[in-house]
Amino acid sequence: MLGKQVLILLVISLVLGVVTNFVSPNKIPFIGEYRDLSSGDGPIIPPTASEGDPPFIAIDVAELEFSLKSAVFVDARDYEEFICGTIPGSLNMPFEYLPEENIENYVDSVLEHASKDTPLIIFCSGEECDLSLHLARNLQDFGYTNLSIFFGGAREWENFELTLERGEQCGE
Amino acid sequence: MRRIIDNDMLTVLFRFVVGAIFIYASFYKIIEPATFAKGIWFYHLLPGNMINLLAVFLPWVELVCGVALIVGFQYKGAVTLVNLMMFMFMIALATAVYRGISIDCGCFKAAAATNSSALDSLLWDFGILAMTIQLCFSKSKKMMLDK
Repeated sequence: MLGKQVLILLVISLVLGVVTNFVSPNKIPFIGEYRDLSSGDGPIIPPTASEGDPPFIAIDVAELEFSLKSAVFVDARDYEEFICGTIPGSLNMPFEYLPEENIENYVDSVLEHASKDTPLIIFCSGEECDLSLHLARNLQDFGYTNLSIFFGGAREWENFELTLERGEQCGE
Repeated sequence: MRRIIDNDMLTVLFRFVVGAIFIYASFYKIIEPATFAKGIWFYHLLPGNMINLLAVFLPWVELVCGVALIVGFQYKGAVTLVNLMMFMFMIALATAVYRGISIDCGCFKAAAATNSSALDSLLWDFGILAMTIQLCFSKSKKMMLDK
């Protein structure tokens, strides 16, 4: 009797869960691919970081956000570096070439008019590069509220044998 | 003691309170399964290939059991599942506290790594558990679809 009731409730839940996940715009794959990438050292935080900066995330969190497609990755390096190896699907917003005028419109257009609370992960090459930190501070000033900095950047991504995306224009 | 446990008003009140908590808790998880999956991952308790399955399935168990508690449908099964879920949540939170993981419990919204305390959530869970245990032992059949 009790077992039958438990089974009925579980079957109803399972059917509703599966059907909802098929039709939901926010559906996820039933079998996720999670890898334990953590070096155990936590996120890389540059000495130039200060209080009030967006949070820094480690490689495992960045990879998780990537696999869930739950955040937009923004590469802060210039186009030549971006096109020769970036985290797949990233948008390019070269910090050093931000326009001096209408900068907010430019940012809005690069981010494809994403809302201000869209999760954004900013990165550049790696530990020697602080473009991500500067870009994140600028975006913070423009009112973006859901920012993270992946300071390990493209190099740490590659070191963990994760795929980088290269454009055909690389080297031209 | 028996009279308090079987009290109709108390049982109906606890059914509605616990049912409403479980329905509310399921809401964000159903809407944002990816973020809930991330919340499960932060606990580092499950193998990777189980995480999304649980993220899809568990919120619906919460919702179905919450509704079943309130309307009194498959009531004993719902009470059993709610108690099992409470124990499961508390064990997960306790292990997070023990391992020093800074984590939002993910109880009512999609969890994330945060500075908020899993210990606070654990204390709240003890309060809910007290109600679910009363429901487990109460013989009241007031306002139920099940006869």
